Parts: sequence; C-alpha cells; structure tokens
Amino acid sequence: MMARALPLSGRLSGESGLRLLMLLLALALLVIGLLLPLATMLIKSVQDRSGDFVGLANFARYVQTPALVGSIINSVSIALISTLTVVSLAFLCAYGITRTCMPGKRVFRMLSILPLLAPSLLPAISLVYLFGNQGWFKDVLLGESIYGPIGIVMGMTFWIFPHALMIMMTALSNSDARLYEAADALGTPKWRSFLTITLPGARYGIISCAFVAFTLAITDFGVPKIIGGQFSVLATDVYRQVVGQQNFQMGAVVSVILLLPALLSFAVDRWIQRRQVAQLSARAVPWQPTPSPLRDWVFALLCYGVAAAILAVIGTAIYASLVQFWPYNLSLTLDHYAFKALAGGGWDAWLNSLTLAFWVTLIGTLVIFFNAWLTEKSQGYRPLRQGLHFMAMMPMAVPGMVLGLSYIFYFNQADNPLNWIYGTFAILVLNTLVHFYTVCHLTSVTALKQLDPEFEAVGASLKVPFWKTFCRITLPVSLPSVLDISAYLFMNAMTTVSAVVFLYNSDTRLASIAVMHLDEAGHFASAAAMAVLIFFTCLGVKLLHAVVSHLLLTRAQRWRQAT
Amino acid sequence: MSLVTAPPRHHASRQAPPATAGASPRAVSGPAARAPARDAAPQALTTRSASSDSIHLKISGLTKRYGQFTALSEIDLAIREGEFVCFLGPSGCGKTTLLRAIAGLAPQSEGTIHQRGQDISRLPPQARDFGIVFQSYALFPNLTVFDNVAYGLRNRRDARDAMRRRVTELLTLVDLAGSEGKYPAALSGGQQQRVALARALATEPGLLLLDEPLSALDARVRLHLRSQIKALQARLGVTTIMVTHDQEEALAMADRIVVMNHGVIEQIGTPAEIYRQPASAFVAEFIGSMNFLQCCPENASTLRLGQQRLECAAHDLEGLDQARLAIRPEAVSLCAVGEGLSAQVEHVEFLGAFLRITLTLEGCGQTLSADVALKDSESLGVRVGARVGVRLPSEAIRLYPLVEAQA
Repeated sequence: MMARALPLSGRLSGESGLRLLMLLLALALLVIGLLLPLATMLIKSVQDRSGDFVGLANFARYVQTPALVGSIINSVSIALISTLTVVSLAFLCAYGITRTCMPGKRVFRMLSILPLLAPSLLPAISLVYLFGNQGWFKDVLLGESIYGPIGIVMGMTFWIFPHALMIMMTALSNSDARLYEAADALGTPKWRSFLTITLPGARYGIISCAFVAFTLAITDFGVPKIIGGQFSVLATDVYRQVVGQQNFQMGAVVSVILLLPALLSFAVDRWIQRRQVAQLSARAVPWQPTPSPLRDWVFALLCYGVAAAILAVIGTAIYASLVQFWPYNLSLTLDHYAFKALAGGGWDAWLNSLTLAFWVTLIGTLVIFFNAWLTEKSQGYRPLRQGLHFMAMMPMAVPGMVLGLSYIFYFNQADNPLNWIYGTFAILVLNTLVHFYTVCHLTSVTALKQLDPEFEAVGASLKVPFWKTFCRITLPVSLPSVLDISAYLFMNAMTTVSAVVFLYNSDTRLASIAVMHLDEAGHFASAAAMAVLIFFTCLGVKLLHAVVSHLLLTRAQRWRQAT
Repeated sequence: MSLVTAPPRHHASRQAPPATAGASPRAVSGPAARAPARDAAPQALTTRSASSDSIHLKISGLTKRYGQFTALSEIDLAIREGEFVCFLGPSGCGKTTLLRAIAGLAPQSEGTIHQRGQDISRLPPQARDFGIVFQSYALFPNLTVFDNVAYGLRNRRDARDAMRRRVTELLTLVDLAGSEGKYPAALSGGQQQRVALARALATEPGLLLLDEPLSALDARVRLHLRSQIKALQARLGVTTIMVTHDQEEALAMADRIVVMNHGVIEQIGTPAEIYRQPASAFVAEFIGSMNFLQCCPENASTLRLGQQRLECAAHDLEGLDQARLAIRPEAVSLCAVGEGLSAQVEHVEFLGAFLRITLTLEGCGQTLSADVALKDSESLGVRVGARVGVRLPSEAIRLYPLVEAQA
C-alpha cells in the first residue's frame, strides 16, 4: 500500500502545483488585461502631457470647460429617459409573455433578441433614414431634429430593449402561484394582487433592470456617435478628446467620470443579487396564466407593436443598403456591398471581424469557463480563488470606451514588455475577451453550481487527475451553457465598437468600426450595408448555435432525461 | 452555526420517533431489558477482531476550525482493520467534517491521520487510499453505468478485458448485472446509490467512506440497501466509515458507533454499549427513547425521587443536590396499584407491538413513558385516568449530572 501511495503523492503534488499555476495564469490574465490598464489610466488622469504629477489639475480644467461639463448633464438625462422608456416597455412586454396567454409569445421572443445581433450603430443609421432630413417620417417629429437627444433615446431604447426584456422576464417568471391562490381565496381584487404580490416579487428585477439599462445607456458610444449631431455625451467626449484632439489626459479624466455611474450601478446590482437569493423559496409553485381575451389581446398588440418597430428599424437598414440613392433613386442594387469608399475594402474589415470573433470565441469560451471552474470547484488557495472571482466581476463595471483608452495608456508605453501586442490582433482579442468577461463568468458559475459538488471529490478518490474529470464530465455536462457563452462572445466581438475603436490599425480594422467610418465619410448606404452584413453574420451564427444546441441536446437526451 | 449551538434536547426529540421501531423487540422482552437480539453484535465483532487486530486508521488530536468556529476539537480515534464504524450525531455535530478530513477533502487545522501506519495528514485526496459514496450519489450523468463504474479503472490503463470483467463482477455484487448500458437518470435512487458503491469499490480501496449514503432514499429502499451494504462490507472485509444522523441505521449496521456532538466525541462503543450504557445524557437522549427525571442522589446506591427512595446502581454523583435519572421506556415496568411508585395514566399511544403509556408520578408530579406489551396492559387495566404502580429497576437506571446536558 505504501509503495503504491508514495509515487502517487509525488505525481499528485504535481497536480495541485499545476492547479496553482493555472490559477496564477488566470489571475495574470485579468491583472494584465484589466487592473494594470485601469491603474495606468487613473495615473494618467492626474498627470500632464509630459507625465508630471499635477494632482487634480486636469479635473479642475474639465470642470471649467462648459462644453465638457455639459456632457455630464446630457449623458445623465439621456440615460435616465432611455432607462425609463426601456424599463416600462420591457416590463409590459415581459408581463405579456410571462403573465398572460397572449398568442405568438415564441415569435415575439425570437424577434425581440434581433437588436442584439447588430452594433448599436445600426439603429442609429436606420433612424436617420426614417426620421432624418430626408426621412419618410420626418414630420412625425413636429419639426424637432432626429439628430440629438430624440434620436439617441430612440436608438438606445431599441438597442437596450433585449437586455432589459431578458432581466424582466426572469424577474416576472419567479412567481409563486400559492400567493395568488391565497389572495384569491381572501377575495383580493386583481389590481391589489398586482400591487401587493406581483410588483414586490419583481422589485429586485426591476431595480436591477433599471441599473443595467442606465449603465448601457450612459456608456454606449455607437448611437450618439451616429445620431448625436452636436449633442455631446461622455462617451463621445472621450473619443473626441483622444482621436480628435489627441488630448489623452482629458480623455482619461472623462473616462474616470464615465467610470463612476457604471461603478455605482455595478455595486447596486451586486447588492440586489445578494438580496434576491434569499427571496425565492425552492417550494414555490410556478404560476400559470389563465386565458382572459381582453387582457391577452391588449398585451399581444403591444408586443406586436414593439416587434414591428424592431423589424422596421432592421428592415430600413436592409432596404437602405439595397437602394441606389435614397430617397431619389429607389432602384435596388448591391453596389453598396462593394464598399468602394473604404480604403482596403470593406470585406477585409468583415474578415477581420470574423477572425477576431473566432479567436475571442474559441479562447474566451475555454479560458473563461475553465477559470470559473477554478474559482468554483477547486480546492485550496482560497484567497486566490476569491480574488479571481472578484476580478472576473469587474469588467461589467468598466465601460468599453474606458477599457479601450486604458489599453492605449498601458500597452503603448515603450517600456512595457507587452508593447509588441499593440496594433496586433492579439490586443483586440485580449480587450474584447476582458470586456465581455463578466457575463460569461456568471453563466459558467451558474452552470457549474448546478453540478453535483462531489464530482471532483469522486474523481480524486478514484485517482483520476482533475483535468480528466474536467474534460470527461464537467465540460460535456455543461455544454449547453458553454455554447451559450460562445454565441454571446461571438456576437459581441462582431458588434462591439466602443473598446476596440482605440485599438485597431489599418490592418486590423473591424467591420463595426468600418460602419462608423463610412458614416463619418457620408457613405450612409455603405454604412448601412456593413451594419446589415454584421447583422446577418450574427444571425447566421445564432441560428447555427440554435441548431448545434438542439442536436447536442437531442443526442444527450438519453442521459438528460429526468427520472 | 445556529444548528450547532442549539441545545441537544431539540435534536433528540426529533430523533425519537424512529427509535420506537428499533426498540420494539426489546420492549416486548419486558422489564429486564436484556434482549438477546442485541448480543449478536459484540459476538460478530469479536470474531472479526480476532482475525485482524491491526489498526487501519489512527486519528490523533484532530482539530478543524473555520475562522472562529471550531468544527472539530481534539478528535482521537482508532479504527481497526475491517471494522464498520458509524459516525453518528445531530446535524452540525462535525461528523461529515471528520469524514471529509479523513478523505483529505477538508484538510484539518491540526492533528494527524495515519492510515496503516503511514502519515497521510497532509496528502491531497488523490494520494490517499479510499473510496467514497455520497448522499447525492454524485454519479456522472453523461456516462453509462458501465463507464461510471469503470471510471477509476480506465485511468489505470488496465487491459480492456480485465476491466470489463471487473465491472461485471462489481455490478453483480450490487445486484445490477445487466444495467451496464443504462444512464444514471434511468435508474431509481437505490440503484444509483448501488452504482456509486460499485464505483467506489472498483479500485479496491483500503477504506470505504460512506457519507449519509441512505439519507436520500425512500424508507423501504433504505432498509433493503442497509442490509445489502452491511452484507457486502462483511463479505469484502473492507474497513468502512459511515456518516449518518439516523441512529437506527447506526445501531443496525455498525460494529462500533462514534457518537459526536458539537465537534467532540461523546462516546465510542458497540451499539449495545451505546444503547445500554450511554456515557452522557446527550448520548442517552440521542439514542433511542429515554425518560429523564429530576432526582436527588443520596448516596452511592440510593436516590430520592420526590419523596420516594429508590435503589440504583453504583454512581459517582453523591453529594450533588440534584441529578438527572435516565431510564428507557421499555425498562419501566407497570404493576398493580400499591406496589412500587404510584402513577396516573395520562395518555396511551398504540404503536402496534406495544403501547407507549405516558404517566404522571404521584408525589413529584414528573412524567415518564413506559412501553408495555398489549396483554400486560390489559391485565393491569391501563386506560387514561387509571392509577397504576411503576417500578424502575435499579440496574436500568443511569444518573447524569444536571448541567452536563446543557453544555
């Protein structure tokens, strides 16, 4: 026995050493990809152009510049209005889906995720076509211009709606039928059940939804860039300061300010998540809606209206990309898909985006899932694992513009040993991976928590190395979630603008950035064409994901069948 | 945390009902409470310990702390080769923590563990020699029964045929031959747990750890699997530690029981010892049903219960003003009014083979229960409100200090 155990212990201390190494690598990834760049940016915000410490002088100068301070008010008011609009809409639609018997739920849900498949530039472009100076529905605005707050709020609402709807649906589907039955038995009118059961039950979801919407709205770059006109917001200020005026210090200052609301909503969201857990009882009986024709049709019409608006926006972009010269020559053409205006050709940018999305998806899925496994399922090194989890939660609070600018500061330093990745694909991959890390991490952790906590212990007791148990059991069993992560990463890598806008060079220009450039140069139809191209690429991947998931689930049906 | 600090009385009252079934054969045997059925266990133990007397596992000074909270405190324990030991205690008593420390899954803060003389205190689980079965089965859902059982074998690169033979042999052992191709989800709970058992035994571990293996199963399946595991263990002779909160399970299966509470061992002994000579009021209350009466120990062999003086076995509590007298319901015997202590019948509960009668003692006003066979109760005319005589045989009485139970 001893003879057998001794050589084993030698090999297996190697196993826990390997685990430690993996953990350190995972930490290094986030330290290099997140912490150090952010720290560098914070330092830059208190330095002058020559790199000397100037305290809060930059901030003082910021406050004294009315054009810049105005952006704070602009950003906050735009974000508040967008949040209010999108949360109300999402609540109503989610209520329709979860609490009524309206027809066509499934179709509506599929249509409602379409905005996720396009960069936020797309709705802005469409809105210009619909309500711009030569738009069909210009008169609806009663003389107000679409370029400015109105356009931004509309674009934001379109783009944030799917995010908000998903959170709201989760919040509203957590219902306990027993509470409603008790209320009915006590003769409670429906409106009172709604106020005393439905709303309180969903309150954390509503708050969480509001903060997510607010963060997305205040940090989004794409919509205000295209449709903002002279109306400046924080995100466009960062871009203008850095790319337009090469004023990196002021860019850093605006970034720090942009970081604040995001940090706040991040903190609130964490707090809510903690409260939410205690609220749900495992014994709750899900509530099933009963038909009520009037209510069902009211909600159905509302949802169809929303779906129609989504289709109209996307349809406009598609149509605009196909007509010769809006609005004078409406004959159809594919000319705009040649992207002649773009030096180096637009299809290269599209290929670059595909390449980026491929690598981000491949590396990101494996790395993030494995890192989540390290934090969730491995033994020992508790402080390291907690540190990793904490850092994995941070990217959610960092707006893309801020992350992108931080990367310039950090990786562009001549004395940084990683300086070589500046201007390559590698920096785009690293940036995008870190930018969208948190949601993937949370998805992984949720999936891993559903596994029996003793799988690893059983594997260890049978002297099977941990990586084998990971590959044979953990990964296959979590495959649906892993595929979800892949699809999420792919779509975001295809559509992101904000972070990578600072990091590409002429060889690594991405499709989403090409949309922006074409729009800046006045090639609106080509910009629409590129946005549509991204949209269909994502749609294709999404469909592929659905098919693959379906096939895998059918294949795995044999063992997934619940007893 | 709150569970741990709760007074033991609470757990005991929760554990009481199952005891009645286990206690029934003894109850029928009458006041003597020396049921022959129990004596089988020590005999089995002696036959085994004669064959192998070496120590398989030795735990010394083992302490486990989680921050400020001490989950295990200075545990000392030796387990013999081939022995079946149960860790028994209320939830939060540290029994699972101790098992996980032995497995290396929750390494101890202090203390040592030796397995067959080798110090394994700091070894990771992979380097220790044990098989483990969890309450949740922890079967790999995406692998067939065959692959689950073969999981540890495959890694050792055994020849395919040998491996196949071994899996078939193991599945036959747990009565599941022919289920090789099924997935865990297609099996019942009891079947799944047997697959888990086969998987744990596949690598022929020197030590088998069972972490509440029966708790997730239906009562009927539990009884069946209980005897199956016990028979299997006896046949293979593998040293086994089972964690359970079910005292009936522990009494039925174990060679020795380790009763734990608040992270310390209260008593180690054979089921018969634990049942008949509980070392503390906690053990007395936790195992089986027990009456507790307040009394006053007068000297080494007599005590006073209210105004009555009673004989009792020798004890070392003289000089104390008050003590707790413990006696099992089946040891209490009823007799005609006028003999023994007088009592009034408060409540009669019909439990099948016997009646549990709740009595109030006249004079001191304390209540106690007595388990009485149906025909005895008829001959004595037991009914609610009737007066009867009560005898508390001196050899069945145990005394405990008053404060200890609250510790």
